[in-house]
Amino acid sequence: MVQADQTLDCKGLSCPMPIMKLAKTMKQMENGQILELLATDPGSKPDVPAWCNRTGNELLDTAEENGVYKYYIKRIK
Amino acid sequence: MSAEAKKEKGIFGELYDNFFAHSWHMWIGSIVLAMLSIFLFMIASPWGSSGGLLNWGQNLFSGLGLSLENSAPIAGILEYRYAILSILVIFGALSSALLGKEFAIRIAPGGELAKGFLGGILMGIGCIIGFGCTIGNFFSGWAALSAGAIIFVIGLVIGVFFAVKYLLWEMEKHPKMSSGKSATFLQARTKGTSLQPLAGLIIVIIGLALAYTFNDPVLFGFALIGLFIGIVLQRSRWCIVRALREPFMTGDAEPAVAIIAGLVIGLFGFTVIKIMGIGGELTMVAANFWMPAIIGGIIFGFGMTIAGGCTIGSSWRAGEGHVKLWLALIGIIIAAPLTLEYIRPAFLNILPAWMKQQIFLPNYFTYLGSIIIMLLILLIWYIFVKWNERTGRFSAM
Repeated sequence: MVQADQTLDCKGLSCPMPIMKLAKTMKQMENGQILELLATDPGSKPDVPAWCNRTGNELLDTAEENGVYKYYIKRIK
Repeated sequence: MSAEAKKEKGIFGELYDNFFAHSWHMWIGSIVLAMLSIFLFMIASPWGSSGGLLNWGQNLFSGLGLSLENSAPIAGILEYRYAILSILVIFGALSSALLGKEFAIRIAPGGELAKGFLGGILMGIGCIIGFGCTIGNFFSGWAALSAGAIIFVIGLVIGVFFAVKYLLWEMEKHPKMSSGKSATFLQARTKGTSLQPLAGLIIVIIGLALAYTFNDPVLFGFALIGLFIGIVLQRSRWCIVRALREPFMTGDAEPAVAIIAGLVIGLFGFTVIKIMGIGGELTMVAANFWMPAIIGGIIFGFGMTIAGGCTIGSSWRAGEGHVKLWLALIGIIIAAPLTLEYIRPAFLNILPAWMKQQIFLPNYFTYLGSIIIMLLILLIWYIFVKWNERTGRFSAM
């Protein structure tokens, strides 16, 4: 399991809030740090990998636990 | 799913995975939806969304004993094809979310719920002022070669632009709006067998049974196709808000390209139907050119962006269990009949005739010329979103 430096709770939020918060939080993190994003919107399943792909941040791991989708994203730049 | 279970997957497991293990690309959704809208046009009239919700609202008001003079329902909910379509779309989306194990009652923080309701109110006002929503006025209206559709989209873009500015400002200055207590219920369990796919199957069967209760072939057709539309919408996470919003937000061009693909198919399908006289030439051409279209578009565009779904996006997300979008639907249902009763008549009264025209482009440019105009605008839109995706010129994040 990946060790995260920070957790961003986006449970209950629907599109576009999780991606907006993710973008804002990542800007405030240091290079190489890892963010754990928690979301319940199924839209995050295609959206988070696509966002990482486009912005060049690395999606290290994903998991799903009882309706909560977890994403581990490393800031790269 | 464990590795062991994967090995044992039979032919039906494979079939299930093909459709429900992952979301579909949005352009697949667009193409199928354009085809289904063409089917609806052949049966009676093309896909629309706000008309059904307006009818729900009108019946709600009259059911409560509040009779609205200008806004009486033209029929009961189960007698009006678009009202039935709206019900079955939600049924379809619910069944699809369950089949994909994506259903859960998701209660967003209070600020988000408020934005959902307020966005719904604005959509209810906008779709009545503008004579239609993102589906009837845009996805169908564009294909119907309506000049008002072009103006409505310009209005939408303006509304979306300001709503994105608002959302970014809110996140910076009032982050509490979108954080705080949230709750999720009835989600699929990860371990063991989830009952959701079975429940989804039951909902599909109930939907089909409901469709078969209609003796009228048009109502039956709308119910059946509505169920399919709901499934396709949820599977492809089909969203016009994203198509118009992302250029100003993340820069992602894919949703816009997906919508463009559907519009191209609709253009040719609708035109064939109109030229052959299968459907009326002025179908889905509203008398909204240009003032009602621009004003309605701006209000609707702002509303759908803060709600996070247009009338149809709110419908399928409501089926998926997002309480914020339930409130958006309630907002539309309340605001649309009241706007039709108290606001639109006065608004249209003050407009001179040249500001509220019904313009069918082929009357001015022939069918061929009109199609070329619509395709050219789509081409410019495509070039813009792809260029912006690469340069990020208009994208905030």
